[in-house]
Amino acid sequence: MEESRLSPQSAPPGVPGPFAVGRYARKLQGWMRERKRVQLIGEVTGVGRSKVQAYFELRDSEGAIPCAIWLNDLEKAGLDERSLRDGAEVVISGGLDYYPGGGAASPNFCFRATHVRLAGEGDLIARLEALRKQLRSEGLFELQKQLHRPLLPKAIGVVTAETGAARRDLCAGLERRGWGGSVVWAFAPVQDRHAAPAIGRALQDLAARPEVEAIVVTRGGGSLADLWAFCDETLCRTVAMLRVPVVSAVGHERDSTLIDDVAAVACSTPTHAAEAAVPLDCLAARGSLERCALALRRAGEGAIGTRSRHLSALARGPERALQRERSALNQKIREIRAAAERGLSDRSAKQRRIGTVVLERARRRAVGADMEKRRDALKRAAVALRAHEPERTLERGYALVEDPAGEPLTSASEAGAAERISLRFSDGRVRARPERVDEA
Amino acid sequence: MDESERDQSALTKPDSYEAAVERLEEIIDRLDSGQAGLRETLDLCKEGRELVGYCAGELDEVGAGLKELRLDDLAAKLETPEVS
Repeated sequence: MEESRLSPQSAPPGVPGPFAVGRYARKLQGWMRERKRVQLIGEVTGVGRSKVQAYFELRDSEGAIPCAIWLNDLEKAGLDERSLRDGAEVVISGGLDYYPGGGAASPNFCFRATHVRLAGEGDLIARLEALRKQLRSEGLFELQKQLHRPLLPKAIGVVTAETGAARRDLCAGLERRGWGGSVVWAFAPVQDRHAAPAIGRALQDLAARPEVEAIVVTRGGGSLADLWAFCDETLCRTVAMLRVPVVSAVGHERDSTLIDDVAAVACSTPTHAAEAAVPLDCLAARGSLERCALALRRAGEGAIGTRSRHLSALARGPERALQRERSALNQKIREIRAAAERGLSDRSAKQRRIGTVVLERARRRAVGADMEKRRDALKRAAVALRAHEPERTLERGYALVEDPAGEPLTSASEAGAAERISLRFSDGRVRARPERVDEA
Repeated sequence: MDESERDQSALTKPDSYEAAVERLEEIIDRLDSGQAGLRETLDLCKEGRELVGYCAGELDEVGAGLKELRLDDLAAKLETPEVS
């Protein structure tokens, strides 16, 4: 046999014994009975009875301990057997015990309760305050409150009982806000020892869904014992660590559970929770958006319209001024032309009258005297007359001075007395104002 | 960031409804002040219209009525292999 190989009879090195098991069991019993006596609070499950004792498990969401109480002690505690039933929340006093068993009896460990009472509100409040203090000191009350809560989530998760008013009231609250997004329901028990673990799992599953932007946990009112699941330490630690904001709406306004402290927002009613989960009032927002659109349209149209009208007004100015000047000039041209035509027609008429008189006299002389002589004389008179026509004179470079009515002004004094005069040249007319008269 | 880049970034899709509403309020305030010139006014109006369109789209997405889903059903869909 190799030295390195252990024989089946060898014990591992460093482990004392072997001891007689019965003796060990008795020592164990003594050791356990020496452990400090404590009070425990939890839920009774699995109640059973023998002739001399009642036995049950005392549980909460994190664990359990098998318990036993002598029926005599139970009677002394004033608790009747009906009160020690499954689901009862109790406080027991006692300590650890170990029954070594016997030749035929099996050993067992238990918590030997010597006193039991129903858990009162005071017990639960004391536990709650201790938990509050612990979680607050760890900073777990602040984590959720620092998360960003979207103004307009598209999808929210809800943990609640499948039946009950809370579900209906929450939906009504969401609809009143004009919100019609997605609600992902995660139904869970909201009372008894199964509730806290189930709610915790539902919260984690909802938070894992990428579309869920906020989560609501809600149930109706009740006693602190009824709402005790929402004070569960494990559940509340789970909520504190979630990266999705949780809105707590558990119980009524007077109820305060630990989940209210760790959640992002604590609400007193499901309606309030709807407002916290969807902060934007969608109905009001639609109206506000329409007003924004109108304001933008007016601003845009106004900016262009105002400037366009201003530019148009400026643009019309020069054109108007030009039009005015053009009209005035055209008027003056018309006046000049009209006056010229009037003057010419007057001169022509006058000259025709003069010519007619002369010719008539010549004709009479020609008729009354020698015809030939008179014709020659007439011809000479006609030539002389043409030489004296104003146009011939003007063609030679002279100007005819007339008053505004077209009457000739034949002296400097007449011209000087006139306010305006007209100088008619062969190629046109000039208007002038006399400045002064210089004597010859 | 030069002016053209700033203009471009201002017209990109907003990060969230809140961001869009905040920018809209800034635009309305600027327009109401009467200090914006013609070019700025037109640019702001254009950006504002785009933001209004974005916000209206977001509201329309949640405007049709509550859509209720069960987490159990969603989880079951994930676990059930799709039949081709």
